[in-house]
Amino acid sequence: MAIVALLVAAGAAAMSLAGANPLTGFAALLRGALGGPHHVAETLVATASLLFPSLAVAFAFRAGLFNIGAEGQLIVGGLAAGLIGASLDAPAVLAIPALLAGGAAAGAVWAAIAGFLRSRFGSSEVIATLMLNILAALLANYLVVGPLHAPGAQGAETAELPSAAWLPPLLPDSRLSIALLLGIGLAALLQWIFARTVFGYELRAAGAGPEAARRAGIDLRRTALLTMALSGAIAGLGGATIVSGVLHRFNVALSPGYGFIAIAVALVGGLEPLAIVPASFLFACLQSGSVTMQALAHVPKDVVTVIEGLAILALSARRGAAPQSAEAGA
Amino acid sequence: MNELLVFAGLTLVKAAPLIFAALAGVVCERSGILNIALEGQLAVGAFCGVAVSSISGNALAGVAAGVLCAALFGGILGLAATRFNVDQIVAGTGLNLIALAGAGFGLVLVFNQPGASSEVPALGDAGERALIVLALACAALLHLALYKTPWGLRIRACGENPWAAASANVDVRRVRFGACLLGGALTGLGGAYLSLGELDLYSDGMTAGRGFIALAAVIFGRWSPLGATAAALVFGALSALQFVLQRSGIPSELMQALPYLAALAALGGLTGRARAPQAEGKPYAPQAR
Repeated sequence: MAIVALLVAAGAAAMSLAGANPLTGFAALLRGALGGPHHVAETLVATASLLFPSLAVAFAFRAGLFNIGAEGQLIVGGLAAGLIGASLDAPAVLAIPALLAGGAAAGAVWAAIAGFLRSRFGSSEVIATLMLNILAALLANYLVVGPLHAPGAQGAETAELPSAAWLPPLLPDSRLSIALLLGIGLAALLQWIFARTVFGYELRAAGAGPEAARRAGIDLRRTALLTMALSGAIAGLGGATIVSGVLHRFNVALSPGYGFIAIAVALVGGLEPLAIVPASFLFACLQSGSVTMQALAHVPKDVVTVIEGLAILALSARRGAAPQSAEAGA
Repeated sequence: MNELLVFAGLTLVKAAPLIFAALAGVVCERSGILNIALEGQLAVGAFCGVAVSSISGNALAGVAAGVLCAALFGGILGLAATRFNVDQIVAGTGLNLIALAGAGFGLVLVFNQPGASSEVPALGDAGERALIVLALACAALLHLALYKTPWGLRIRACGENPWAAASANVDVRRVRFGACLLGGALTGLGGAYLSLGELDLYSDGMTAGRGFIALAAVIFGRWSPLGATAAALVFGALSALQFVLQRSGIPSELMQALPYLAALAALGGLTGRARAPQAEGKPYAPQAR
């Protein structure tokens, strides 16, 4: 609670600095997030987009691994989905599973590079995933500005996918697709894996105390590689749902930093998959409200990103103050 | 011959900010703090430098402000890591978001326009060259300080085995906090170099991943000041090569990707065993053992 009060105060201070009345600012933020069916639908679109990378980050954190690379995995997942979706001339029952699987596979491979370096050489997955983020952006930029550029397109994007490759809409006249349901289903599945499966147990044990886990016969190298690959698959799947459900094409600006905000979301959700669903909604409200706040109250959108950064900083302290509470919680 | 000189000059121009940030990375990591907020610290140095130069009309005051603000910003990580035992990686990610978006917000506050500042009094060619020399001097000084002074021994001890250091009466938290301040100041110089040395303005995204290339240089240079500086020079040369090869058909993204690929290769042991300081990234609490 103290953290929330602190963040609201920081937001109010920033709005005053920008010459806006904080009340007007917060009202505009709220209106942009929830003021009417269109706004709610856009907030739910952002919820789905944030949910996947947040689950990916939490999945790795639970195993004691830092996947700071959800942003890059989101991009390669979206890229793969865009390529598959555009080149496949198939009915929806084939096209959609194919592009979702392709996105997940691409994200898995991307993250597995970091997992491999960690399990084979003991190298920091933090640095590796940071490097892979930038490499993903460069790769996407090269392909989309160069060989895969849509003829006549304004931005750095591929051609539009055939409508058979579009995720079915959840609400008429909105960009909201069944991606949201997929994400919630995935959260439930992960919750079950953590609580009820041997792999989930091994993963939590590796996160709670690697030495004890090793002595209990858990293969830490295998767990690290598998965890990173699966974490990447979740983020890559998220990228694919953005391409197939929201944009209907791949665009290099597919993510306004979802992969980093996901860290805040995962921590707010206490690394519990089902709690991450409402946490994603909360941050989605900030994300979609910030556009209206900028338009109506003339407070730059950047203020919201600063607040999100402050949230991450504050939560990192809480995580440290109670060592291992997050990983050892269950 | 003349072209070679031009290329060498451009290499130094491109390498200087990387050297400052990479040296900061070395100091922090050798003391046990994994500082992934170098990118944000560069932005703080670059933005504060431009803002103060604009207000005071004095570029040198701008540089001083850039260094001071980035040092204070580095101090936040230091404080968080030593007093609150935070997760350094999570905190660093948050600090990067705060710095990059904060600079964007600052543009609106100080210059009344988003995206980029107006042109401000800058250092000019002479100042740019002076900062390049300073970067190389800092590398030599840090090498001496780290390996030939008691301060350097304490830093390295805190990064390898903080409990052993503590039992030898070293105040681990204080040493690590100091390393963060020094790291911030060095990165601030790199940031001010970008905005007031190479250019005369701040624009959103102008740090362009240099803080992450610096992290790659630290690994490639095996956590030593001279090694990291050499790596930064190589990466600077790659960056200079992009200008030379602009019309050769080699995709510029491939050239930009090389430092990051090199870092992955180093992490994979392709350049010999790359060993990070033992206690890097691990919080230290006095009563933990």
